[in-house]
Amino acid sequence: MTLNHARASRLLSAYLDRELDAAETAAVQEHLLDCAVCRDAYDRLRATKALLGELPVAEPPAEFWAAVRTPQRARPATVAVRRPVFGRRVVWASAAAIVALALATTPLVKGTIDRLHASEIGVDLYVRQHAQAMSAEPFVDRAYLGLMTGDADLVLSGDATPAGAAAR
Amino acid sequence: MGRPAAVVSMARPNASQPVSYTTEELARYDAIVQRYARHVYNVAYRMTGNEADARDLSQEAFLRVYRALRRVEPDAPLESWLYRIVSNLHIDLLRKRPRGRVESLDAPVETPRGEFLREMPDPASSPEAIIEREQLDATIQRVLGTLSEDLRMVVVLSDVEGYSYEEIAMSLRVPLGTVKSRLHRARQILQQRLGPYVDARRRGWER
Repeated sequence: MTLNHARASRLLSAYLDRELDAAETAAVQEHLLDCAVCRDAYDRLRATKALLGELPVAEPPAEFWAAVRTPQRARPATVAVRRPVFGRRVVWASAAAIVALALATTPLVKGTIDRLHASEIGVDLYVRQHAQAMSAEPFVDRAYLGLMTGDADLVLSGDATPAGAAAR
Repeated sequence: MGRPAAVVSMARPNASQPVSYTTEELARYDAIVQRYARHVYNVAYRMTGNEADARDLSQEAFLRVYRALRRVEPDAPLESWLYRIVSNLHIDLLRKRPRGRVESLDAPVETPRGEFLREMPDPASSPEAIIEREQLDATIQRVLGTLSEDLRMVVVLSDVEGYSYEEIAMSLRVPLGTVKSRLHRARQILQQRLGPYVDARRRGWER
């Protein structure tokens, strides 16, 4: 088996890796004896392979071992479903905006409710105390009796905290 | 690498399904990690050239092994499967990255007047630097990164991890002839781009 230069030069890597059959190996060896260009190319391929083979083995970081040994806790499909950075930023920004809005409006809303509540109790207490003070004989006074029947109605209708509780 | 781990499919396992394994199964998983993790990480590192991506790729590969554990035959060689996952994940990663980083430097540049091959700058800035091992590693890694994905995977599996053509063909599911030609092409490009380092390596042999 004789090889021309072009064919022999294409087989140099496989020759280097001992991946040729006996006939091809012999033919490449024969060609190398005659061809300085191929000898040089062969040496360069061999040096390249050696450089790659001498690369240090990359040492995996501790986080890698932790994640690989307990995969159930690892975030699934980190590579495949990773969102673009822009998308993630938008999500974080909207989340932050919602939290900020909630923090800012909570005292406002709560304050309004409290004031409404306070005003109700305030008026109620004021009327009650006023009615009691004004009434010389509470049990015949219409205003006072009206107040008491109002309280009784509230209790009957199932209000757990009748408005009259504060006064009693 | 041996025979293919055909017992497990490449399809993404159902992520929502919770997995609870017996102690024996978990021990089997640990043994798989023990046996392959370092190699898988190394290949992922040489393919991506950085720690964060290498971690993502190799962790995802092992997550798939974990989910498919019951379908993995005990003692089945998993290299082929693992490297194929890493290769596929790497291709996915390259597709998602901005254009500038996906583009391969050994692909011809298309212009209206035809295709041109890029001229690579000489990687050796000073002769003293050649003896610096760390710089050499970084340069080799950078030059590896200029290869297209298919050439890079073949040369990493062959020259970094030391697999045979047949094992690589099985791993990547390509014909033997394709492995042969890709490897030769990859080495030719590398020796050209690592010119001064290759010369230094040859001089080392002559001494």
